Amino acid sequence: MSYRVDGMRVWMMQRITALYLALYLVGVSGWFWLHPVTDYAGWRAWFSHPPAAIGSAGFLLALLIHGWVGLRDVILDYVHSLGLRLVVLTLVAFLLIGCGFWGARILILASGPA
Amino acid sequence: MTKRRSPPVYLNLFRIRFPVGAVTSIGHRVSGVLLFLALPALLWLLDLSLRDAEGYRQAIALLQSTPLKLASVPLAWSVLHHLFSGIRFLLIDIDTGVQLKPARASAWLVNSAALAATLGYLVCVL
Repeated sequence: MSYRVDGMRVWMMQRITALYLALYLVGVSGWFWLHPVTDYAGWRAWFSHPPAAIGSAGFLLALLIHGWVGLRDVILDYVHSLGLRLVVLTLVAFLLIGCGFWGARILILASGPA
Repeated sequence: MTKRRSPPVYLNLFRIRFPVGAVTSIGHRVSGVLLFLALPALLWLLDLSLRDAEGYRQAIALLQSTPLKLASVPLAWSVLHHLFSGIRFLLIDIDTGVQLKPARASAWLVNSAALAATLGYLVCVL
């Protein structure tokens, strides 16, 4: 029972993060299309703007969750040996966690003064 | 106690004839994996571009170099196909276009729109 409830929650999480990622991508692309960035100062200024900083932090988090669930599904479908599955899942997890810390560092540094 | 059903195991991709929806679906997986693999490189580029004015200049120069322009084409397809097919899957989740006919039509639309937009990107970037 708990297995099924868990699967349902993961399924829902994948859809919620998908929606956020799509809205962010379309929204930010539209914004930069209307307000093109021409230099470093402008680029930095965008990331230090609170809505952009918070929205981008949310994007990073949603990306990590979405990536983990998606990669996990693909790996469970195509990697059948349990040992190899564990190795690949671990590698993916480490890469995603590493990207999470790295991305957080980039966003935090960019949110402060230049 | 009931036995848990095991997941389907026959997934030899070379022996399955693909209907159009399957192409959309596999494309969603392939593009997702490609985006995952590109993530470190994209973060590196973002890091460089935000470091200082010199880093920003280097990042722009890199993006305008031929190898990176070429590498960005499959990545552009990945974003576009993943986004378009993702929207299609979300609509199907809320019972929109589930019937075979509209589902096949939207699969065709997604596959070709992603390719067309990638072609547009290619023309713009080269």
